Amino acid sequence: MSSVITRGRLFAAAVLAAFFWALWSVGLLEPDRLTRGMSNLGIFLSSLFPPDFSVLPTVAKGLVETVQIAIVGTLLGFILAVPLALAASRSLFPPAITAPVRLVLAIIRTVPSLLWGVIFVVAVGLGAAAGALGVALYSLGYLGKLLYEAFEGVDGEVIEAVRGVGASRLQLARYAIIPETANVVLSQLLFMFEYNVRASSIMGFVGAGGIGFYLLGYIQMLQYSKLTTALLVTLVAVVAIDQASNWIRKALVLPSEVSSVAP
Amino acid sequence: MTEASPAPTVDVRDVWFTYRDGQYALRNVSLSAVAGQTTMVVGVSGSGKTTLLKMAKGLVPVQRGAVKLLGADVPRPGSRLDSRVAYIPQQLGLVRTRSVLENTLTGTLGKLGSIPSVLGSFPGHLVALAYQRLQALGIEHKARDRVHSLSGGERQRVAIARALMQEPRVILADEFTSQLDPVTAREILDIMRGIAKEGVTIIIATHQIELVGEYADRVVAIRSGEKVLDAAAADVGSESLTAALRA
Repeated sequence: MSSVITRGRLFAAAVLAAFFWALWSVGLLEPDRLTRGMSNLGIFLSSLFPPDFSVLPTVAKGLVETVQIAIVGTLLGFILAVPLALAASRSLFPPAITAPVRLVLAIIRTVPSLLWGVIFVVAVGLGAAAGALGVALYSLGYLGKLLYEAFEGVDGEVIEAVRGVGASRLQLARYAIIPETANVVLSQLLFMFEYNVRASSIMGFVGAGGIGFYLLGYIQMLQYSKLTTALLVTLVAVVAIDQASNWIRKALVLPSEVSSVAP
Repeated sequence: MTEASPAPTVDVRDVWFTYRDGQYALRNVSLSAVAGQTTMVVGVSGSGKTTLLKMAKGLVPVQRGAVKLLGADVPRPGSRLDSRVAYIPQQLGLVRTRSVLENTLTGTLGKLGSIPSVLGSFPGHLVALAYQRLQALGIEHKARDRVHSLSGGERQRVAIARALMQEPRVILADEFTSQLDPVTAREILDIMRGIAKEGVTIIIATHQIELVGEYADRVVAIRSGEKVLDAAAADVGSESLTAALRA
């Protein structure tokens, strides 16, 4: 009993030591620096107000492009992710097929969306097309993983029953796996879209279109009151999209507990 | 001269199944069933009934022994299964977000090409047949309802309709009346008896031994993965069956 307590204390002490070592390493244990930082933050925050609404038409245009990037990127990523996720699902294919597909998805996931944006700026040039492709690849990596995990979570008896009628793999996917996971898939798609709106808002930092171009410009030119307007417009859009997603979920997603609706 | 006995439609010979941890699910079990006959495989939970049925369907590998379905070796796991052998799992395996009609039509997938069926297109005669099956089972009026809104007995009927759409020669049903009230369970078993009379081989795994005398032609008892009894149901009383399972 006492050895268990001692082990626990040692572990807690080790975690605490690692935490303070990391704090010191990143420079958060320097009082001068922290004091100076708080002062600078105060100056920055005060310069954000009042917002300059004269840039509203410009940032609204950038925001529309951001949402367009998110819509195109999310849907393109989803369209590519569904077949790859089916190929990566052990409910449908043997490891000889699922393992390489999973590896490809993992490689895609290791690249952040902003870096995908840079890559596509190089490939297709500056603008929203690069942003949409960047978001699409990023979505493919994540949705691919989320979807194959959902596909593998389908009740084994449903799989066995549909396989039992002599269904092919394609039919099994169409008549068992996809209908059984439709709710989860829809939720993940909406979540990915919400995330991608945020991710798309900084694609302009690397020249890949959207409101990020204006955000970066206002920061670099120290036009903080204009930056406030851009941030407020983005905030309103993100909250509106989150709310719309909730409505769609409530309208389309079926109850998960079968018994609760059975007579 | 003696009359030749009919060839078995399901012929399970000396099969074994061992889990990865070395535990036996089945040890040297044999089972033979013929057309038009209902066989009940009885045993307590965990005795190996489900594994036996899955092996007979080709859903788990035959590690030792042999299984012949309709005179041919059972398909290897992973390959496309024989649609003439219907399998109804314990929880029925219905797609709950789909309608009764769609679940029923699922039974025809083995006979259709992948591409037309993936596009959701079913030939008109199969849709008409599905309605006929549902009508015969008393749930035609629920055809457009989603499965999650049905009662237990109605779901059972949908699973039977799906199996019948396969035009099966064998139906393997796993504990599929165990969660029903006694009246509904008997209604469902009456339906199965009617199907058997049309020449279909029926094998039902169950722990409800009180149903054996009334609904089975043959009974096979399994205890801890081993067959302990295989006899005509008429020759076995429920007391001796209970004794066999407990011994």
